[in-house]
Parts: sequence; C-alpha cells; structure tokens
Amino acid sequence: MMKIGAMFSEVFRSLFNKPTTHTYPVEKIPAPDHYRGKLVYNPETCTGCMLCVKDCPAEALELITIDRKAKKFVMRYHTDRCIFCSQCVENCRFSCLQMSNDQWELAALNKEPFTIYYGKEEDVRFILEPAAAEEAEQPCPESA
Amino acid sequence: MNNILPIVALIIFPGGLFLLTSGLAYEWVDRKLIARFQNRFGPRWFQPLADTVKLLAKEEIIPQGVNAFLFILLPVMGLAAALTAALYVPMAGLAPSFSFRGDLVVTLYLLSVLTLCLGLAGANSADRFSLIGATRTLTQVFSYEAPFMLAMLGPAIVTGSWQINEVNAYAQSNLWLIIAQPIGFLVALVGLMGKLELPPFDAPEAETEIVSGALTEYSGRGYALFRLGKNVELVIGLTLVAAFYLGGLASPLDFLWKTLALLLVLALLQTLFARLRIDQTVGLWWRIGALLALVQLLVLIVL
Amino acid sequence: MDKQEKFIVPIGPQHPALKEPGHFEFTVDGEVVTSATARLGYVHRGIEKAVENRNWTQAMYMLERICGICSHVHATAYCLGVEKLAGVEAPPRAQAIRVLIAELERIHSHMLWWGVAAHEGGFDILFMYTWRDRETVMELLEMISGNRVHYSANLIGGVKFDIDQKQADAIRKGIDYLEERTRHYLEIITTDETFLGRTRNIGVMTSDQAKSLGAVGPTARASDVHRDVRIDHPYAGYDRFPVQIVTEKEGDLEARFIVRLKELFESYRLIREVLDNLPDSELTVKVPRKIPAGQVISRVEAPRGELFYYIESNGSDQPERIKVRTPTLPNWGTVLSTAVGLKLADMPMLLVGIDPCFSCNDRLVYVKDQNQSLTEKTWSWDDLRNHGIERYK
Repeated sequence: MMKIGAMFSEVFRSLFNKPTTHTYPVEKIPAPDHYRGKLVYNPETCTGCMLCVKDCPAEALELITIDRKAKKFVMRYHTDRCIFCSQCVENCRFSCLQMSNDQWELAALNKEPFTIYYGKEEDVRFILEPAAAEEAEQPCPESA
Repeated sequence: MNNILPIVALIIFPGGLFLLTSGLAYEWVDRKLIARFQNRFGPRWFQPLADTVKLLAKEEIIPQGVNAFLFILLPVMGLAAALTAALYVPMAGLAPSFSFRGDLVVTLYLLSVLTLCLGLAGANSADRFSLIGATRTLTQVFSYEAPFMLAMLGPAIVTGSWQINEVNAYAQSNLWLIIAQPIGFLVALVGLMGKLELPPFDAPEAETEIVSGALTEYSGRGYALFRLGKNVELVIGLTLVAAFYLGGLASPLDFLWKTLALLLVLALLQTLFARLRIDQTVGLWWRIGALLALVQLLVLIVL
Repeated sequence: MDKQEKFIVPIGPQHPALKEPGHFEFTVDGEVVTSATARLGYVHRGIEKAVENRNWTQAMYMLERICGICSHVHATAYCLGVEKLAGVEAPPRAQAIRVLIAELERIHSHMLWWGVAAHEGGFDILFMYTWRDRETVMELLEMISGNRVHYSANLIGGVKFDIDQKQADAIRKGIDYLEERTRHYLEIITTDETFLGRTRNIGVMTSDQAKSLGAVGPTARASDVHRDVRIDHPYAGYDRFPVQIVTEKEGDLEARFIVRLKELFESYRLIREVLDNLPDSELTVKVPRKIPAGQVISRVEAPRGELFYYIESNGSDQPERIKVRTPTLPNWGTVLSTAVGLKLADMPMLLVGIDPCFSCNDRLVYVKDQNQSLTEKTWSWDDLRNHGIERYK
C-alpha cells in the first residue's frame, strides 16, 4: 500500500512533545554505576607486582618504587594516554585499582592536570620535591 | 501608501531593511519548526542573524578559472532582484508601494531571476559539483515555472486583472480562494517549494550528493548574499500565495498569521518526504503538476 | 562539446556523503554513471604491524579499536582464536554474555546505519528518529559495560563483567521499546512512496552476481545468498542459542534495508532467550601468558558480514602475525559493478547500502606483477618490516 507522508501523525505530534535533547551543561545526567571513568589507585594494599603496568595497552601507568619492603609505592597515571579499558583493574589481585564513575569530565586547558600522582601523602611529596632536578627514583621499566 | 517617500519605501520599509529582517525571522521560524518536528530544540532566535554576520566577516575566496566579475556580481544581482520583487506585493499587509497593470508577471519574473543567477553562478564556478548543481537548478526552473505561473493565474482570472493589488482586494472581499480553487492552491504550494528549493525538491542543492550544488565555491560575502536572497524569496513567495489564496492581506496582523500558518504547512511538508531525484521532480511536475493546473484553469474558464 | 571528454565526479576523500574518507570516481554522462573506480587506504593506521610489538592482552585492545561500531566482534574473534591456540575454552556463561553483547552491538550498528542511509536519501526525519532510538541501546550498553562504544567486554579466557537481575530487567524493557519502534519503521519504509522511489529497484544485484563477487553479510543475504557465519559455523554461544537466517529475494536497495530490519527482530528474540537462559558458571578461565606456537583461523559474523582473523603465534608472549579481513572489503566490488547505468543521485545511497566501514577495511596488500614475481618495485613482507625497523630506529 503506497502512502505519501507515512510519518505524518508522528511528525505532527512531535511538535507538541518535549525535545529529547539533553541540555548538557545545564542538566547533567549522572553516569551509571559501572561507568569507566578516571582510574583511582589505593596504595594501601599494593604489593608492587607491576601486572597493571605490564598489560596497559597505552603505557599510561608507571609505578615508582620508593621502598619495596615497606610497600611504599607511588603511581604516576597519565590520563591523556589512558584508553579506559580497565584491564589494569582486572589484573590487580588486591583491588587497589578501580575506575570512578563520576570523574569523566576530563577536559583541561593545558597538559598538567593529566599527569596524576597517586599514593600516600608523604610518598607523593617525596617524589615531587626533587621534581625540578627530575631525578627521582628509577621508575619501573614499562613493558617492552 | 503612496505618501511614503519612495526612498524610504525602497530602503527601509517595506523593501530593504524590513524585508531582510523579516527574511531572517522567517528563516528562523522555518528552522525552529523543522527542528521541533524532528524532536530536537532548534536554533535560538538570533541564529540566522549570527550566521549572516559571520559570513559577511569571512574572507571571500575566488577560485581560479572563474570570471571574477561575474562571480562577485551574481549574488548582488540575485539579491537585488528579490528585493525589487517585494515592491509589488502587499508586504506586511499594506498596499504595495508601486503597482501597475501586469505586475504579477513582473514579480514572478523577478523571483526567477534569483534562481537564474544561482544557475549562472554554478555554471561559472570551475567545479564539477557546481556544474551539476547548476544543471539541476535550471532543469528545475523549467519544470516548475509553468505550473506555478498557471496556479497564480487562477485567481487573476477570476479577478479579471493581472495586477496584484486588485487580486488582493478581490480575495479580501470574496470567499477564500483556497476553498474555491483547491487544486490551484495545492499546485501553488508545491510550486513554491520547488521554487525555493526546499526539500523534497532540493535536488539542486543535495548535500549528500553534490556537496552544495551551485553554491559550492561560494563563501563569505557572496554566500551571505545568496542566502539572504533565498530568505527574501521565501517571504515574498509566502506573501503572494497567502494574498491570493488565503483571502488577501488586509492588515499587518493578517499578514503575520496567514504567512506563518502557511510556513507551518511548508515546514511539515519539508520533513515528511525523502528527497526526490531530479528526474523524478521533472517527471512529477510535467505530468501531474501542469495537468492539475490546467484542469483548474479549465474549471475556472468554463464556470 | 567534445564527446570523448569524460566528466568525472569525485566523491571523497572529503564529502558529505561519506562518513569516513575514501575516494570514488564516477564517470558521468549527464546524470547517468558510466563507470566507477574506488581508491581506499586513507584510514590505514598500521595496527597489524603494531600488535607485533605488544603482548597478547595489549594486542586485544588495539584490535578492538580497529572499528568503533564493530569493536566487540573484533575482540571476540581474536579471543576465540587465541583461546583455541592455548587449548582452553571460555566458560558457558562467558560465551553467553559474549553473544548478548554481540547482539546488542548488532542492534546498535544497524540503527546507526539506518539513520545514515536515510540521511543520504534526504529523509532526515527518519535519521533523527532512529538515532534517538539508538540512544536506548547505547544507554543499555553503558549500563552493562561502562562505555557507549568500545565495550572492552572480552578477556582472553572469558568476559570481564556479569549481568545481574536489575540489568537484565532494564535490558528487557529497552528491547521491548526498540521492538515496537522497529516494527513502526519497517512499516514506514515499505510504504512511504518518496522513499520507495529512492530505493526500489535501484542497484539490483542478482544472486549469481553476489556469489561471484564474493559479497558477504546482509548485502549478500538481500540477494538470496544464504551465508551467515553464525549458522554455518556456530561460534561462542551460538550453538546453544541458534539464529535463523533472514534473506530477501530482490537484491535491490529496499531489500537490503528490509534484511537489516528483520535481522533486528532476530536479535531481539535472541537477547530475550539469552537473558532467560543464562548458564551458571564462572566468568573466566586461566590462560597462560605465553601462548603455544601455532596458527589458527577465527571467523565471526560482524554486523556487516563475515569477519576473518588469522592468528599465528611463535610461542612467546607477543603475537607473530595477525591478519584481519573485514567484511566491507569484498562488498566494494558489488558497488562498483552495480553502479553502472544508475543515476548520479543514487550513488550515495548505493555506497551506503553495503554499510561501509572504512576504518575496518584499510589493509595492506602487496601485488605481484604479471609474471607472478616480485619486481624491485614491489616489497615483500620482510622488506616492509625491515624498512619500518630501520626508519624508526
């Protein structure tokens, strides 16, 4: 059966419906629970096994060992390299890593916010103080 | 009103500035309506103005191999023709500024000059897409011009005059011609869409096939002038069809609501259909359009 | 005017009709196309070479990003192949979840294609409405996997996440809504006269032509060729949840539209079946870091056709060679041969009718000359590898 203007009734009704566009900056819809946003690292249970660093496809993670026996580690996370695949979360056997579901607005005007140091307060300060000399402990080798 | 100084009439009201502004306003209404039909928001009220200002500020690139004089002249000529056509129609519901016997033909001719300028501009540009666009534009002009003119002729016949002024007066005092000549109205409406190259008759400007058709090489000032010309043509076309078929335009309020109602129908028709190929357009018009218009005329002459 | 002068209309590399770059030259006489050629390769990123320097897990993520809308099937094909090499098999629940996500991705891909094809025909209202409905399936996928595209659901040896009851209910609700809309769209495209004028009897490809050109996927099924990898060689969970084939006889553009729409109904039925009968088991199985040496072939049915992976391992933790053949590549032949005789205005719809995915199909081939030998001008695979290593040392 041939019709001209088969969508007529639906189109006409749309005139009186509210548009389905989300007005983004004005109306922010929260992401679902399992959303893969920015990575968050908890140094409490980390043993320094480096599995997360080995399997990262984008070489976005570096684990800096300050003191292996005392389990002091600092993670340098490059948000701009991360592809948010969550393979590191899968690999970690001690649940140190998880992907946040509320930090996904990551735009910035320069490169600085994209390199994040995670760790205990004193460890991170320890790393960043000689930052001018750029001579911190040897960062762990990335996977070949 | 013949006591307005002719200069004011030309430049500010009802020609010139008023026309350009109302062209922008009608373009906004059109885009907003189409967006609402498609279940999205649509632009804010100043969008067409912002577009025009931005385009006028951009650098105009004249491609190699074109006749530069023609390239710059054609948009100006098109806009000028469109603006001139407004002098003879009852713009804003007031009587036309200049009016003489036979001005219906002149108005329709001036509106076609814009389309011819488009076609020439496309043929002038040394670009394959423009050439195909120009060919399609001119083909479309040939195909819809005759039925549209015949449809406009219908009210002129019952009035017994070719002067737009008098047809307007006749339409105001008698039964709305949309009821008396429904077929003519249909042909006029669809003809208007063809003239303005609105979807589904936008094959000359098919974005997904030939980039932008005849206007592909235009940017900056030339493009802004062509767009303004098309908007002005929209207003004038709506005024003409409303004046003839929707019972004449007696006052500005009348003008406003009648043309807006017509624009609503036009926006609805724009969203409902897929784009017709150029050969389908021509086939449609020469077979059905012209036939319907002739039938309408026959009915008028006989009765 | 010189009659022998050819008027060539280039479509691409930048053109509003194409969503990705590709170059097509149509020789036109008025509005009628007399010949067509294609040139591809604008989106070649060298992924096949890059995975040779990554370990098996990293390679999976690289391969997943060959394409945005068929990302899950690329990862699935790869994981199935590597699991076969390693001699393990993923647990049943993982296979079922792989099927679930593959079908959701098929829905997503077909609705996207639907909108794009309508837009090429100038039917913008259908474009807007189908993309509005596509948001439903993207939100479902975001809820399950965490991202709207690139779901990263696969692991070598299983899947990453599970589907719980609440998610299953949300999926069922979304699928009900989509099914009703799909029924509505099917009715529209088979009855709306302007749209039929653009699709009926355009680009007809007979069954023999389709077979000889090697067409795959819905393009072939629209010409009555019964080819579907999910049925011919069931993989992952498709032996537990079988699919029925959907074909049409006419082989024109309208048939391709209808085949894809009807496949959507099959997907809806399959998703409901999987959700009702999810088997109970773990989600992953342990796979060694070094995969034993060997060669394997893995074939899956992407939304566009048959996706083919050849994986070779040399016993280390990095792949030796991965060769991908995506379904769009054989379908180009069908466009170029059916384009002759049609009008120029039909070209965009013809191009989009095979559902091209340019990012998928840029591969490198090397050509031997007529004597079947490699001249100095041709490079062999080893030449290319050495060149790459030397240049970037």
